[in-house]
Amino acid sequence: MTGWEGFLHGLATVTQPGVLVYCVFGVVLGTFVGVLPGIGAMATISLLLPITYYLSPEAALIMLAGVYYGSQYGGAVASILLRLPGTPQSAVTTFDGYPLARQGRAGVALFTSMSASFLGSMFGIGVLVALSGVLSHAATAFGAADYAAMMILGLVAASTIGATAPAKGLAMVVLGLILGCIGTDVNSGTQRFTFGQTELSDGINLVALAMGLFGVSEVIGNIRTAERTGVPPKVRLRELLPRREDLARLPFPALRGATMGSFFGALPGTGSTISSFLSYAFERRVSRSPERFGTGAIEGIAAPEAANNAAAITAFVPTLTLGIPGDPIMALMLGALVIHGVQPGPMMLEARPEMFWGLVASFGIGNLLLLILNLPLIGIWVSMLRIPFRWLYPAILIFVCLGVYSVRASVFDIFAVAGIGLAGYALSLARFNPGLLLLGFVLGPLIETNLRRALLVSRGDPMVFLERPISAVFVLATAGLIALSLAGVLRRARQKT
Amino acid sequence: MTLTRRAALMGAAALALGTSALPVLAEGWPDQPLHVFVGFPAGSSPDLLARIITEPLAAKLGQPIVIENKPGAGGVIGVQQMLHAKAAGTAFGTTINGPMTTAPRLTPDLGYDVAKDIAPVALIATSPLVLAVAADSPAEDLAGFIALAKAEPEAVAYGSVGKGSGAHLTAELFSDRAGVEMLHVPYTSYAEVTTAIIGHEIDAGFMAPSAALQYVAAGKMRILGVTSVKPFPQTPEVPVMAGHAGLPADFRAELWNAFIAPAGTPPEVVSALNAEINVILADPAVQQKLIDMGWQAAGGTPETLATRITEDTAIWGAVLDRIDAKP
Repeated sequence: MTGWEGFLHGLATVTQPGVLVYCVFGVVLGTFVGVLPGIGAMATISLLLPITYYLSPEAALIMLAGVYYGSQYGGAVASILLRLPGTPQSAVTTFDGYPLARQGRAGVALFTSMSASFLGSMFGIGVLVALSGVLSHAATAFGAADYAAMMILGLVAASTIGATAPAKGLAMVVLGLILGCIGTDVNSGTQRFTFGQTELSDGINLVALAMGLFGVSEVIGNIRTAERTGVPPKVRLRELLPRREDLARLPFPALRGATMGSFFGALPGTGSTISSFLSYAFERRVSRSPERFGTGAIEGIAAPEAANNAAAITAFVPTLTLGIPGDPIMALMLGALVIHGVQPGPMMLEARPEMFWGLVASFGIGNLLLLILNLPLIGIWVSMLRIPFRWLYPAILIFVCLGVYSVRASVFDIFAVAGIGLAGYALSLARFNPGLLLLGFVLGPLIETNLRRALLVSRGDPMVFLERPISAVFVLATAGLIALSLAGVLRRARQKT
Repeated sequence: MTLTRRAALMGAAALALGTSALPVLAEGWPDQPLHVFVGFPAGSSPDLLARIITEPLAAKLGQPIVIENKPGAGGVIGVQQMLHAKAAGTAFGTTINGPMTTAPRLTPDLGYDVAKDIAPVALIATSPLVLAVAADSPAEDLAGFIALAKAEPEAVAYGSVGKGSGAHLTAELFSDRAGVEMLHVPYTSYAEVTTAIIGHEIDAGFMAPSAALQYVAAGKMRILGVTSVKPFPQTPEVPVMAGHAGLPADFRAELWNAFIAPAGTPPEVVSALNAEINVILADPAVQQKLIDMGWQAAGGTPETLATRITEDTAIWGAVLDRIDAKP
């Protein structure tokens, strides 16, 4: 059975009423939990897990998957309107989405994000159907050295984005790397910087960090100005729609983002985070007017949103074809399958083709539903901004606390998010970019682990990074990028003299 | 949480129509919902195992059981949270072997003393580990593997799910008994170890059977031996390691999962729970569910579990001494 035949068979599975209704339920629920700050796909799927006992395996998986990719659509809403990303990959969307919203063009930002998300997902599905066989090899072809080199490229490429002053950007990346060191060292089992707190032994909670740095700090920052700025005027329908020049800026960045997302998503690890940061950095570099980035550039929303949605789709490849989950949500999805007696892995495509292709086809249906559902909702989301701050902000803080608690049922994390929020406010006063801190925090531990693992496996020989072809390509790309930046600096210095 | 509770209630209501084997306790226990703390996230293997046991248990006790997933620190946080909540009298837990045996050595500020603070209830299930290699590995069998490893120190690299994990300690025990030195490469999950073995980044790994068997079926991996005393039901053709290829006859390394209570829980409550869990574990349907996940139903008295904890603490303590003594 070729990919496209399988896809058609899958459509037959999804369009059964008993399955379709759960697909609809999943994506609608996913959108709403995605919009709610902090309460994300992870918490929702764990809550839904016991209910799936009563469903057929197909319906259960399709519903849970709908929550997962549906939340990617919703996640952008809070990022754009309130600068409240629930996850690192939607943090990038705040860079240009939030400035646009502040300019009264929230509708345009949301339209861009929704349509780029849709394009990204559809691209991801196409890649999944056409190349699932090839993609499944990517996960085993990548060794520790390759991951380390790839993530170093990601870090270097993204370190310069959204920066007012490069030194400040670099400082944030380094701070993120340092915070990422907290927790148990994988190699030695030593507790690092945990100060005897068992809660810190698995590191700082990522969601607490993201919500604290962005959301809570934004709430604190607005307390001073809230009463003065007052309620924004009612937005007319015409202003919700993108102008022609906005539309022209959408498709190509979205396609480039989707390509990156499809590739990185298929690698277990933090593919979707890297792809959203990288695609943003890439767009800024190829743009004729990079100075618009960070002030409300359409490309700055389209590329990362397309990337993270494409990655959310291709992330199913290693999960289903190898049984190797790329992130905690995928691991949960794997658990859900096991409950139903379906063992994801190399045998799944042969043993349960109707399940595999049914799921893939449900991505297509689900994303179409999401687009139809979300476009009319844009007006409603934008009107959320008209809720007076004195009601909106306490509500946000309550949702943040609920959301952070829901990740691992830890009261400690609620205090952590409060503390991080204060620190984040201090950083924003000094005009530091918290997005880069988040990037350093996510990539730092992965770089460290893979770097040390690569050296361990090579018995201490650093040449492993150049001997492995995949790693060598990334190392050369990183070197080229640094050389380009240096050349630019030198040229500007020469022009001045 | 509400949904979990509702699901538990629904399950309880559906099954409460069946019979309850519970001897009526003097004080009418349990008169409110029980909370079972699990130190791993929803959907993980220990979580699924806990649900297999607590679903019929709730029906038999006539009270819903709420699973409290408190993941972190290799299951230690679940135990800590159970002890933290013990005042309510409704807090119980399931745990893997680590928090009961090696955690006192490996986790600073553990916050509990297994002997003083934990009341063992029942051993739920045990699982061997299997020694897995890539399908095209030059090691044909266990003897061949040991010969490869003996060629020179660290000739063979193996993966584990972290320093001090069952997979790591088992490999060290194996190295000691087989007289080899292997290179330890820590990963964080069996999925990563699998990827590394299939991708030839490492040569081998001691793995949970559930994590390895499907790759064997797909022709990507082979398993060279199991660490239990008896052959594993799902792979009767794979030899046990004990007594093979020069390994001593008492070679044994098993993971286990147990039901525990905070110390101070009334003895009649402990024995009532133990009786019910043993009834549940005797059910062939439950046994089959466990086997499908790579576990074998265990059961026995609270003392069986207590003995197991003491013995394993000694076995793994000796292995930890050996690791600490390494340069």
